[in-house]
Amino acid sequence: MSASSTLGGVLPLAGAPGSPASLAQATRRARLSLALMVASVLLIGLAVPWLANAYWIKTLTSSLALSIAAAGVALLYGQLGLVSLCQYALLGAGGWIALRAGHGLGWPFELSVLAGGLLSCAVGMLAGLPALRLKGLYLALVTMMMAGGFQVVINVTGFPDGGAGWLGRVFGSERLMMPRPALALSDAAYFRYVAVWLAAVLALIELHRRTRAGRSWALIRRGEAAAVAAGVNILRYQTWAFGLAGFCAGVAGALLAGGVGQLDGRAFTAGDSVMLFALTVVGGVYHWAGALIAGLLLRAVPALLTDFGVNGYLAMIFFGVALLHALITAPSGIAGQLAGTVDAVRQRIRPPRKDATP
Amino acid sequence: MIRIHDLTVAFGGVKAIDALSAELDAPVCGLIGPNGAGKTTLVNVLSGLVLPRAGTVAVDGADLLGLKPIERVRFGLRRSFQTEQVVEDLSVWDNVRALLDHVPHTRGDAAAQVARALSHTDLLDVATVLGHRLNLFQRRMLEIAKSLVGAPKLLLLDEPGAGLTEQEAGVLRRVIGSVHAFCGAQVLLIDHDVDLIAATCTETLVLDFGRRLALGPTRAVLDDPAVRKAYLGTE
Repeated sequence: MSASSTLGGVLPLAGAPGSPASLAQATRRARLSLALMVASVLLIGLAVPWLANAYWIKTLTSSLALSIAAAGVALLYGQLGLVSLCQYALLGAGGWIALRAGHGLGWPFELSVLAGGLLSCAVGMLAGLPALRLKGLYLALVTMMMAGGFQVVINVTGFPDGGAGWLGRVFGSERLMMPRPALALSDAAYFRYVAVWLAAVLALIELHRRTRAGRSWALIRRGEAAAVAAGVNILRYQTWAFGLAGFCAGVAGALLAGGVGQLDGRAFTAGDSVMLFALTVVGGVYHWAGALIAGLLLRAVPALLTDFGVNGYLAMIFFGVALLHALITAPSGIAGQLAGTVDAVRQRIRPPRKDATP
Repeated sequence: MIRIHDLTVAFGGVKAIDALSAELDAPVCGLIGPNGAGKTTLVNVLSGLVLPRAGTVAVDGADLLGLKPIERVRFGLRRSFQTEQVVEDLSVWDNVRALLDHVPHTRGDAAAQVARALSHTDLLDVATVLGHRLNLFQRRMLEIAKSLVGAPKLLLLDEPGAGLTEQEAGVLRRVIGSVHAFCGAQVLLIDHDVDLIAATCTETLVLDFGRRLALGPTRAVLDDPAVRKAYLGTE
C-alpha cells in the first residue's frame, strides 16, 4: 500500500484529492473541452450568417435544429446502445405543442419551445418503457411502430396553424405563421438564436455524461449485473435518458416550427425517424460534433445536391453507402474519425508525456 | 455477521444449495468447495441475483431477502464478479465514484472517500487512466476499491485471485486482510487458491453439492479429512 493511504481522511474536496496533478489536469481538460464545444457552436452561429446567402441560412437553420434532435439520438445509442426509431415523431410532437402554445395561448417563444421539449420528454419516457424488456432489433421495431402511429395521427390532424378549436386548424382561409421571438426576427438572427439553443442542449447533455447520470449509463452499458451490483436503478436512468432524448427532439421540433412558421403534417413519416437515426450513426454518436454532422447530412447535403442539379434521391443511395461504411469500418462515425485524426496530428507535434502509461 | 438458516436454492430439479445453515462471524471468512458446490450460487443469493426457494439470510441482524438487489447495495452489500466488471471507458476514479453515486454518503465527502479507497488499493496513481488500459491485477484491485466506498458492511469477493501472479496475490492478500481495519466491513472470500484462504480467512465454510461440509477455524477446516477428501484430494 502506498504511504498516501493515511491522507484520505483529510483531503479537500477540490479537483485533485490525493492523486497528484493528473486528476486536476483531467478536470481542467474536461472543463476546457466543454467550453470549447460551446464556443465552437456559438462561433458557427456568428460566422454562418456572415458568409451564407439567404437560402443557405434557412437550410442551415434547419440543420442546426435537427442537430439538437440528433444529439438526443446519439445520447441513447452512444450511452446506452438503445436504438430508438421514433425520435422524428417526437420532434413532430414537440413542434405541435410549440405551435399550439404559440398560436392559441400566445406564449412567449421560449416558453413554447420549452413546452414542446417537456411534452416530448414525457412522451419519450413513455416510449422508452419497452426498452426495459426489449433491446436491439425488437426495441427498434416497437419504436418505429410508434413513429408509424404518429405519422397516421398527424396526417389526419395536421399541425396547428392559428385556427380555433383544440387542434388549432384553419379551414378555408390562409394559414397563420407562428411568430418568431422578438430578438430573432430576421433569418440571420434566428440562425444565431438556434445556435444558442444547440449550444445549451449540447452542454446539458455533456454535463449529464460527465456526472452521476453518465456514470450510471456507463454501468448499464457494461451490463445489467454490473449496474445492479453498483446499486444503479436501471428503470430510472434508462427512462431519464429517453426523457432527455425526447426533450432534445421536442426542442428541435419547436425551433423548426419557429424557423418556417409552420409545419407540414406530411413531412413526419416513420421513414424520417429511421433516417435521423441512420445519419446520426454516420455523423458519430460518441462526440458532440457528430450531431452537427448529422444535421448537415439531413438538410445541407440534399440541398447541396439540388444546387448541383443532382436528383435528391441519389442522396439516399449516398447515405446508405455512408451508413454501411460507418457500421463496418467506423463505429464512431465521421466525428470520431475527425477526432482521431486531430489526436494523431497532435501526438505527432507534441512529444509524448511521461505519465501517459498506466 | 452472516446468519444463514435452512437455505435452499433449486434450479428446476437440481438443488444448488440444500438446507444450508451457517453463522459466519470472523472479519474475513472463506468459502470454498469443489466446482459446482454452490459457492457462486450462495453469493448470488446474498446479492439478490438469485431468489432462494426457502430459508432466511441475515447480515448484521437485517433480513437480506426482504431487500431488492439495489437496496442491498445501499444497505452495505458489495460484490465482485468472477469476470470483473470494470467499465472500460470510464476512468479508474469514475469507476469508483459511480458506486458512490448510489449509496448514502455525505456530499462533501465523496472525493475524499474515493481517494482513500484508491490509495488503499494502490490505484491513486492511475486514477485518470481509462478502464480498458488496466491490467488484470489493477482491474481486480479496482473491483475491491469500488467495494470500499460508502460504508460497506459485507464484501462478497468471487475469486479475486484468479489468474494473478504469486507477487500480485501477495499484495491482494494484504489488501483483503486489511479491509476490516479499513472500513469495518466483513469479507466473504471465495477462491480456489487455498493458500490465499489460509492466509487471510480466520473462519471458513466448505460446501459440497450444496451442503455444508465443514465450518470452523480455517486451519482446522483445511485439516479435516472429509474436506481433504472432497476438495483437496487424498494422498
